[in-house]
Amino acid sequence: MTRSTPPSWSSRSIAAGWQHQFFYLAVRLGGRRLAYAWTYPVVAYYLLFRPRLRARTRHYLRRRFPNHVGFRAFRDSFRLSLSFAQALVDRARAGILGPECLAVRFDGIQALRELLDQGRGLILMGAHVGCWQAAMSGLNRLQVPTHLLMQRDQGDVDRHYHEHLGGEPPYRIIDPNGFLGGAVEIVQALGRGEIVSVMGDRIFGHDENHLELPFLGEPAAFPVGAYKIAATTGAPVAVLFSRKTAPDAYALDLARVIRVPRIRDRRLEALRPFALEFVESLETYVQAHPYQFYNFHDMWNTPK
Amino acid sequence: MTFKEKVKQTLVEELNLEDVSPEDIDDDAPLFGEGLGLDSLDAVELVVIIQKHFGVVIADMEQGRAAFQSVNALCDFIQERNPQ
Repeated sequence: MTRSTPPSWSSRSIAAGWQHQFFYLAVRLGGRRLAYAWTYPVVAYYLLFRPRLRARTRHYLRRRFPNHVGFRAFRDSFRLSLSFAQALVDRARAGILGPECLAVRFDGIQALRELLDQGRGLILMGAHVGCWQAAMSGLNRLQVPTHLLMQRDQGDVDRHYHEHLGGEPPYRIIDPNGFLGGAVEIVQALGRGEIVSVMGDRIFGHDENHLELPFLGEPAAFPVGAYKIAATTGAPVAVLFSRKTAPDAYALDLARVIRVPRIRDRRLEALRPFALEFVESLETYVQAHPYQFYNFHDMWNTPK
Repeated sequence: MTFKEKVKQTLVEELNLEDVSPEDIDDDAPLFGEGLGLDSLDAVELVVIIQKHFGVVIADMEQGRAAFQSVNALCDFIQERNPQ
């Protein structure tokens, strides 16, 4: 929410504008196959000649695969980076070719409907896994206005999928760097019974509102603002992860529902049990899908 | 009890502000940051408290920016929309 310390990450793409345009053109000309084919040399170039970028994959990978060194560690970085590049291609495909180019399976739609029927709105908590924006198309069936807490850095050249066609986004964007981190908009949206989508694995905005929680064996920083909002408004928190299941297919998994009771204690520590539920879900995900976790900043070393 | 005192007491009780009494709150001091020292998480509660206790909806960021300047601003905001 309002920032008091320097951000520990940037949403800005590492690639230049023309490089993104190149991939957008590849999608238009040759679809997935051509665009995917280009991801291999591009990822190899970045990993071989831009060691700082490879280092960014290691924050997570050396904790997920502590025994992998040398070639195995390099291979992990390659697989993770390739998977990320192809997720970005998928995001562009969804925007350029239409969301229907990706099959999104979601078995939890009825469970989300039942949560929405409680009339307190719904906090959808995701993470930087799979292809979140492409998978959002799977939520269209709910036909409930959706708000997305999303930060855009100035100068970011990579387009979100709705930006390719120049139309209205399928969700309303709340800027976490707005006044009081968009708190007013979030509360009102939930009060109307709508959906507010947040990321549970990255601190943005008010860097002070986070807790250190055990993730892959070491304390890592996770934001806790959403749990406070849930406690205040009574909205349930649905933990929803997307994952790639085939070249043209994603699945959305409702990992768990976190219910936060009214809490009188103002200390962030009071929110720890609920944040831990999310972290447990995320850890289960990365154990099962280690190359689909795209948090490239050092969440184990954040501002205290 | 004046309306302003009631607002201050509600803030102290509902936000569970420890070591702060209604008399300690300066009428013109900012509610957030320097002043009362509330943060963005408190803002979430504040929006709900004002709606619940005073029947006034803070619809958007601009309204919030004006209302949360100080206790005086908050009282004016509430009374303009719901004179009791």
